[in-house]
Amino acid sequence: MVLADSSIVVLALPDIYRELDTSVSGVTWVLVSFNLVMALAAVPAALIARRVGPGRAAAVGLAVFAGAGLACGLADSLETLIAARCIQAVGGAAAVTAALELLPATVGSEQRATTVWAAAGATGAALGPALGGILTELVSWQSIFLLQVPVALAAAVPILAVAKHEAATGIVSTELRRTGRPHLWANLALAMVSAAIAAALFLLVLLLIEGWRLSPIEAALVVTAMPLAALVGGKLTDFVPDARARAAAGAILVSGGLAGLAFLPKATIALTLPPQILVGIGLALVLSALTETALSGRAPQAIHGGWTISARHAGVVIGLLALTPIFTADIDQQRHDAINAGTAVILDSPINPLLKLDLAERVSERLEEERGKVPTIGPAFEPLPDDPGERSEVQQLQGELQDQLDRGATHAFSTSFILAALLGLIALFPIALSKEVEL
Amino acid sequence: MKGEGRSRGFLLVVGAIVASLVLVGAYLATGGSSYEPEKVQDPCKPRPWSNPQSLSEIANQFTVSALDGAACQLGVTREALARALATPEARERFKAKYGITDAKLAKAVRAGLVRAVDDAEEAGALSPLLAVPLRETVQRIPLEQAIELINDAESLLGNVNSFLGPAGDLLEEFLP
Repeated sequence: MVLADSSIVVLALPDIYRELDTSVSGVTWVLVSFNLVMALAAVPAALIARRVGPGRAAAVGLAVFAGAGLACGLADSLETLIAARCIQAVGGAAAVTAALELLPATVGSEQRATTVWAAAGATGAALGPALGGILTELVSWQSIFLLQVPVALAAAVPILAVAKHEAATGIVSTELRRTGRPHLWANLALAMVSAAIAAALFLLVLLLIEGWRLSPIEAALVVTAMPLAALVGGKLTDFVPDARARAAAGAILVSGGLAGLAFLPKATIALTLPPQILVGIGLALVLSALTETALSGRAPQAIHGGWTISARHAGVVIGLLALTPIFTADIDQQRHDAINAGTAVILDSPINPLLKLDLAERVSERLEEERGKVPTIGPAFEPLPDDPGERSEVQQLQGELQDQLDRGATHAFSTSFILAALLGLIALFPIALSKEVEL
Repeated sequence: MKGEGRSRGFLLVVGAIVASLVLVGAYLATGGSSYEPEKVQDPCKPRPWSNPQSLSEIANQFTVSALDGAACQLGVTREALARALATPEARERFKAKYGITDAKLAKAVRAGLVRAVDDAEEAGALSPLLAVPLRETVQRIPLEQAIELINDAESLLGNVNSFLGPAGDLLEEFLP
């Protein structure tokens, strides 16, 4: 749940943007703040968990996460929401890192705990946007946070028993001084791949909602392809014990999928599915393999788990902050080009000059109404002319204009997807330098 | 066992490379690299008329030529100008955005109309005898009327009689 939280609000951002009457860059911080604080708080939270005991740290972390989630759900301003998200991230960091220390007792071994923990991270990242989109559409964006409250509290209940036991026995770690150095190459690769995956998740949903004008629930259903593919990718772990090979294959698949999204030949949902499948399988392979590598032979697990959380969320922040200005500028330029191309279609059409200039005027009005967004052009063509011949020409014109807008919206994301794909490929270098780990 | 694990790892990496290349190759082969808005033409470049037959078709091309000519003069696209001339509000936004005065806009729109007359004459859609007085006239008309002529070229070309006064009756027969 906590790891899904880094991406869960992405489909709710347009609603938050409208309801809290803020700017696009302002609303981006709802996403960035959580990931940034997670990146900064993960290792200190793990150190605290070692000092006070993982049970107590997890229980307190979940309680803080739930309380801050409630504050997020009730927030009536962007500032309150961002502040609550920051507190939520602190609680989340404590819960996630402590969970790694608690898992061996539940799943039987430290190695199995690492695998489960890493897989949960990959699944959470893939599931977040779809889950958030469905909740936003069916209930409201606030429900994303409010629903987390009972779930977090329910998760805290069994952990309370562990916390009580720790308090009664006073058993806490004495190995603080013996913490080994974090695995540099694996964590570096994790940060790069996470930046690429963030792009895949966030840019794709933005393309679907802002570019192709899908509703949040429609977009959520479309991006469900990624977590489903991630489930398949997770199964491959059992067949390929070599973590470095899995990480390399995963990074290649993520990059291949992103390159596919960069070169979509048409604005059609079906064409996003093959790239999503590649990204989904790839992220399941690479995130779990790199997390296992980073944790392999390292102790204490919570602290090194903290480093992996830190690397992943730092990667997400870097990906968002680096790519957002690029695609924002591109979408403005492409929107402008698409409008010009659409107007050219109208001007060069054989319809009556008076009608074509009237249409140019209505298109212009639509642009004003939906300033800054890729407009839905249909209303500009209503009412359609009564004359059947003219009506057919106007309808054809509408289709051509919409095609130009779809081209513009789709192409606007290409550069960002290519850059993200390159990030995934660059991650192959630290992956090659990381140590060989077999399950 | 370790060797088997390695070969599986190798196969997985090769499979990932092949899957990625196939996907990207297929998308590029089906137009993925050119799926972007069409580029609009430079309004200063000639846009040949496509053998118009009816008065409506001539008016259509006349409008496009006039917009091209005016846009070229102003250094903007024909498309931006067309949207700007649609309403007074759009025109004001356009003028503010590009720092254009009424006088500059009027000069450009008149130049556009002259180019439209030239193009029509060159395409054989307008007799030289009609083109000469039309050219003279459009160079003197006020901005609002000039914009109206672009918007409603059909009326202009169809009503030369009233537009050019008594000489119109004589000139009208030179329209195709």
